[in-house]
Amino acid sequence: MQYVIVGIGGQGILFSSRVLGHIALSKGERVMGSEVHGMAQRGGSVISHFKIGKYSSPLVKAKEADVLLAFDQNEAIRNLHFLKPGGKAIINVHAPEALENPNLKRFLEERSIELYPIKGYEILKEHMNGKFLFLNVLILGAMCGAGIGNVTLEEVKRAIEELAPPKYVEANLKVVDLGYGAMAK
Amino acid sequence: MGKKMIMLGNEAIARGIVEAGCEVACAYPGTPSSEILPAIAKWADELNTKTAVEWGANEKVAFEMAAAASFAGKRACAVMKQVGLNVAADPFMSVAHFQLKGGFLLVVADDPGPHSSQTEQDSRFFAMFAKVPCFDPSTAAEAKEMVFDAYDLSERHGIVTMLRPTVRVDHCRQDVELLDVVSLERKASFEKDIRRWVCLPAHVRINHPLLNKKNDAIREEFEREFSKYNYEVPAAGKASLGIIAGGISFAVVMDLLDSMGRKDISVLKIGTPYPLPTKLVDDFIAKHDKVLVLEETYPVIEMQILDKSKVLGRLNGWVPRAGELLPEIVEGIISRALGEEPTSSPEEEYLKKAIEELNITPRKPMLCPGCPHRASFFAIRQALPNGIYPSDIGCYTLGVNQKTVDAVIDMGASVTQASGLYLAHKVDGTERPIVATIGDSTFFHMGMPGLASAVYNKHAFVLAILDNSITAMTGGQSHPGIGEKLRKGEEGRKVDLEEAVRGCGVKWIKTVEAYDVNENKNLVKEAWEYAKENEEPAVLIFKHPCMLLRPEQDKIPVKVDQEKCIGCKFCINFFNCPGLVFDEDKKKAYIDERFCVQCGVCINVCPHGAILGSNGEEA
Repeated sequence: MQYVIVGIGGQGILFSSRVLGHIALSKGERVMGSEVHGMAQRGGSVISHFKIGKYSSPLVKAKEADVLLAFDQNEAIRNLHFLKPGGKAIINVHAPEALENPNLKRFLEERSIELYPIKGYEILKEHMNGKFLFLNVLILGAMCGAGIGNVTLEEVKRAIEELAPPKYVEANLKVVDLGYGAMAK
Repeated sequence: MGKKMIMLGNEAIARGIVEAGCEVACAYPGTPSSEILPAIAKWADELNTKTAVEWGANEKVAFEMAAAASFAGKRACAVMKQVGLNVAADPFMSVAHFQLKGGFLLVVADDPGPHSSQTEQDSRFFAMFAKVPCFDPSTAAEAKEMVFDAYDLSERHGIVTMLRPTVRVDHCRQDVELLDVVSLERKASFEKDIRRWVCLPAHVRINHPLLNKKNDAIREEFEREFSKYNYEVPAAGKASLGIIAGGISFAVVMDLLDSMGRKDISVLKIGTPYPLPTKLVDDFIAKHDKVLVLEETYPVIEMQILDKSKVLGRLNGWVPRAGELLPEIVEGIISRALGEEPTSSPEEEYLKKAIEELNITPRKPMLCPGCPHRASFFAIRQALPNGIYPSDIGCYTLGVNQKTVDAVIDMGASVTQASGLYLAHKVDGTERPIVATIGDSTFFHMGMPGLASAVYNKHAFVLAILDNSITAMTGGQSHPGIGEKLRKGEEGRKVDLEEAVRGCGVKWIKTVEAYDVNENKNLVKEAWEYAKENEEPAVLIFKHPCMLLRPEQDKIPVKVDQEKCIGCKFCINFFNCPGLVFDEDKKKAYIDERFCVQCGVCINVCPHGAILGSNGEEA
């Protein structure tokens, strides 16, 4: 299983790969991932690779990722080439009309890629007083809701309980449910 | 089997360092090495060792502290990024000749790409330059294991050893096995011996031939006894290609051959690139018609191969000479080496077109919303718009987005470039305002010698020290100007920034609140007038805590008055905040509340008074 997680520095994308890794390790699987630190974390494009299984390198090759988790729709579109034919993407959208671009649709069709857009900012504004740092768990919840990514809602929740700072656990769990709900309906 | 844990490559290296019994660990932070030293402290505390773990003011300081601890018989390590070794090059080259007592490990993290550096130099070359053995790990787990061997080798031969992870190993996250600490129970015992510890030319004439002998002996060991790091993964049947690979490139090649389903390629992994186990390499080459060499970033293995007649590599153009060897790139190289067409994905053309049509470009790094540097740069630019702005290494290099960073070389060069620019004009009898910017940590790292030199030589410029009380870019490490040491709560003595500046001989010094943009504009002008008049540097310290420290401060919600905004983009060009963006359709600026932290500084920015505070206040 190979994931690519993309977003903008400061959005907290590293936490989502930590959650995925925690779950995999508890199942006795081997994990390997690559993170971005330093200059790009200051608001630049960031990308995190994550692989579960018997791999040597932490890098995902283009056209081999099973799942793309995108905290930003522009970063999603820039990185869709990582998805293998039949791959799936959870995308936090702020301007959904961009996804209607005919060339984009043609690419997705030819590669049989499915997109699962979620209006993350709207949801967090409505339910979490605009605390956008919760995007990471929202997207993990959405991934479970969409039934992709090979992990269950319960596994994600357990991992968050074990990894998040105690005072944020409750809020995090609420947001996971919001993400799940948004996708499952 | 010990317990397994997922950790960052840097945490794995740190764990190895503590498990191997290292008692003195020193570093200066720099991506991609920054997480190692704090992790050493964390593991040492968890494993209950007494390891001293300290940030040095710069890499040379850190290297020398650790080296001397080894003179006293302790296992020691110095940690830095690749350009940090340029700073520590002087002691590194000398200490290479020493017959050390305690094991001494130098960890140098390279940054192919580069992702967060001013060069993508290859530290394995530095190992060769200094005649020091080098370990080049392919994974986090291997890096941890190599630490033990590096210490063992160091003590058996009395030589400093280098572990050279690259960014993908440092920042890879992997399940790694935990072991217990090797208890060495050594007491510090420095034995006086000038032939050993004083690098007089007469001693070097004895020690250099000894160093050569050590190199020969270590090469022999690497040939025979290090098959866990130097080994062949044979092809099934006759190989159509041989690949020699080291570091992360080996890992990339292995995954790639798997996904390409190629069993007709054999691979020789080299984990000890210097001194190169040449017999092993020559035997491998002899078995193949052609051999591709894959390594990051320079041809270090390749250059040590004497007969290159079958070798495809960087020197003959088969492998790109710059940038990371990402899987897609390596796939293309392998296909070409096999004389095959690289696989194509015609549908990607549609994606490329879509990206172009939607005008999507990679997001450039920017200073964080609320960052005090943004306010300081704005004040400097507005005060002296025809100035020259040399700057330095840190978050504030991003002042380039505000057109207030004109030249950057390396740590500390803001000050020295200001001197050089001043002199260049002075010899012509002309002058231009010069405002150099440097961070607090960088000032202590290498800013002070340049400032003392500028005072001594009477150079007129303004030095703006952007004091956010942290080493910000690398994730928030402490430094001499803060006082608190690496371990939380461990108090050091704070070196007062103003006093340090005064100690360098500067007469005009003022410390200001960085957010006070309007007042600071006047002070920048005043500082320049003083500097010009008196032919000496004037220093302005812009103070305000880094946003990463989440300072408690007033929240001032802002909005852009859409009537008053004329779409001139002044705020975008000179303030450049992620929270203040431009709508290209409406031709108006607006607040992007996803990013705005309500610092209120931008209220002072709009020349048309279109940016308003919540209660309608305007500048």
